[in-house]
Amino acid sequence: MLSIKNLHASIGEKEILRGIDLEVKAGEVHAIMGPNGSGKSTLASVLAGREDYEVTEGTVQFLGKDLLDLAPEARAAEGIFLAFQYPVEIPGVSTTNFLKSAVNEIRKYRGEDPMDAVQFLKMFKEKMAYVNIDQSLLSRALNEGFSGGEKKRNEIFQMAVLDPKLAILDETDSGLDIDALRIVAEGVNKLKSPNNATIVVTHYQRLLDYIVPDYVHVLYKGRIVKSGTKELALELEERGYDWIKSEVD
Amino acid sequence: MLSAELSTTLQDIAQTLGLESDQGKALSQFLAKGFPTSKWEEWKYTSLKDFNGIDRNWFPKGNSNLPVSADWAELIIRSSDAYLSIDKASSNDGIEVLSFDEFVQKCPEFQMIWANKNPILDQNSLYDLNVALCPQHTVIWIKKDVEIAQAILHQYQVNSTEKASSVQSRLLIYVEEGAKASLIEQQTSTGSADILSNFVQEIFVSKGAQFTYLKDQDFQQGVSHIDHTFIYQAEGSQVDTFTFSLNASLIRNNLHFYIDGPQVVSNLNGLYVPGENQLMDSHTVVDHRMPHAESNELYKGVLMGNATGVFNGKIFVRQDAQKTNAFQSCRNVLASTRATMNTKPQLEIWADDVKCSHGTTTGQLNEEALFYMRSRGISLAAARTLLLLAFVQEVINKVEHPVLRESLTEKIIAKIQQSVDLSN
Ligand SMILES: Nc1ncnc2c1ncn2[C@@H]1O[C@H](COP(=O)(O)OP(=O)(O)O)[C@@H](O)[C@H]1O
Ligand SMILES: [Mg+2]
Repeated sequence: MLSIKNLHASIGEKEILRGIDLEVKAGEVHAIMGPNGSGKSTLASVLAGREDYEVTEGTVQFLGKDLLDLAPEARAAEGIFLAFQYPVEIPGVSTTNFLKSAVNEIRKYRGEDPMDAVQFLKMFKEKMAYVNIDQSLLSRALNEGFSGGEKKRNEIFQMAVLDPKLAILDETDSGLDIDALRIVAEGVNKLKSPNNATIVVTHYQRLLDYIVPDYVHVLYKGRIVKSGTKELALELEERGYDWIKSEVD
Repeated sequence: MLSAELSTTLQDIAQTLGLESDQGKALSQFLAKGFPTSKWEEWKYTSLKDFNGIDRNWFPKGNSNLPVSADWAELIIRSSDAYLSIDKASSNDGIEVLSFDEFVQKCPEFQMIWANKNPILDQNSLYDLNVALCPQHTVIWIKKDVEIAQAILHQYQVNSTEKASSVQSRLLIYVEEGAKASLIEQQTSTGSADILSNFVQEIFVSKGAQFTYLKDQDFQQGVSHIDHTFIYQAEGSQVDTFTFSLNASLIRNNLHFYIDGPQVVSNLNGLYVPGENQLMDSHTVVDHRMPHAESNELYKGVLMGNATGVFNGKIFVRQDAQKTNAFQSCRNVLASTRATMNTKPQLEIWADDVKCSHGTTTGQLNEEALFYMRSRGISLAAARTLLLLAFVQEVINKVEHPVLRESLTEKIIAKIQQSVDLSN
């Protein structure tokens, strides 16, 4: 599904990703871990198409297409979804209006007819159950004045509505208490299928108790320095990142 | 300064009017000053320097040199399904439309109000020009304790001739004690010749009366519209103004509130969306002269193409105006890198027990927000439109009339969408 080869990306003069290789197949869950500042969010942003970063080397194939050639909105329409570490406030636009625009633009891209108000109502109702989100939150301006938990829950709700092929969750666990964490993780698990894949970016292994990964990768200084199965996450939890750093540096 | 040629033409007109008449005197005052240029403090960004050299058809519909009254001032009051027709209204005696002379005959007590009104601040040369060339007010008279549920529609339409022309109009609105009414003014033009549209409105809102005044300014390119609105509010009255500036080569709005009584409420709302080769300038004055009054000002702008916007908001709180609450906010989005916005809030407070606040901001659309929206599949153009629409909606949503709210929204979306598509 996703094939990243020797990906280098910089911002200004600073090289942040320094040769990433990663293969993700349908049905898999990959966890990307690593200390602060190692480039996890950068990788997620580059995949979603943020234009601040310049890709200087490497390729990214997504379902047979050259992902780096596509505008962010086209990537979304092809099935990429990024749950932001810091969801952005969209003043004056409610979640529902926002998602109606998004869904219908994606449908237009795919050559499908737009959905009408009745269909939306039905669909929203169905998806609201996934993350146990309240209608009142959806009619408020998106992310404006939302608590940390509400923002993350809203991200997963959007993911449920957009039904992506590849979901990238960037530190979706940060700032959540244990109950909120469980709800968010359950939402993600319900959305899992043999046809889609998930990349979970996290700093701690806590989230991985709920979303169990098939593979765990450690990102350090812009490279994947270690890959393994979920046991690697447990080892990191026990020993911290220092042993990896000392192995690499 | 006026060109020699234009000076001669206007001097001839002054002679005909009679140098000692009010009109002749006003024209002499105008001749001495000419059209404002960027050297005038209040016209810094809105220079009418070029006008000093343009000889116009000064009486587009008159066939003599003598100005005639309201019939060429293009005051058309029409009926429409959604609004109240003046004919219907006058049959129930709640409202009358008449000339100034007729009005003061029928309503002699107004003479006193007229004579004692506060002097006009910033009496710019265009006001003089209007007094000189438009001898007669048209008056809309709303009678005591009358409540007009439907909005009154006023179609202000300027018509072009093949030559550059000048249209001078004057409207006086007298809202008597306890009355309640709203006026919707559609300002439009036909043709696309160079027109100077100079419109003075004086509005007297009596004790306990409520008045809403909405302007929808949607002219053809080529029109320069100068709008002077003076609102005098007596005790316990409420006035809400809405100024929507959609299209014209140039719009200058002077909106002055005189708070002449206690317990007055004044709400000023404005939205301007200038595009390519358009300049829109809002100058507002809220003059708190009496205590326990409240003013709320919300102006917003979206500037597209190479547009220029100006906001100058003055709030005066005089010594007697204790317990005043005055709020002002002006927020702008530059939707194009070639657009400019000039803002200047100006608070002058002589009373000590008051609450005043003001804030102006001018910025671009948030790049983070745009990326967030695109990452969900919304195209850049649609994301921009969505954000801009949400931005302008705050002002539009304050309009009570649903039909109007919808038509304004549609027109503004269309304009924003067009400019957003062009910039891609
Ligand atoms: N917009 C930016 N400008 C400059 N440096 C940045 C920017 N974004 C990220 N960086 C730098 O890139 C490195 C990786 O950041 P990030 O991808 O956010 O790490 P992580 O998500 O793993 O904590 C850090 O050193 C960070 O300071
Ligand atoms: Mg991060």
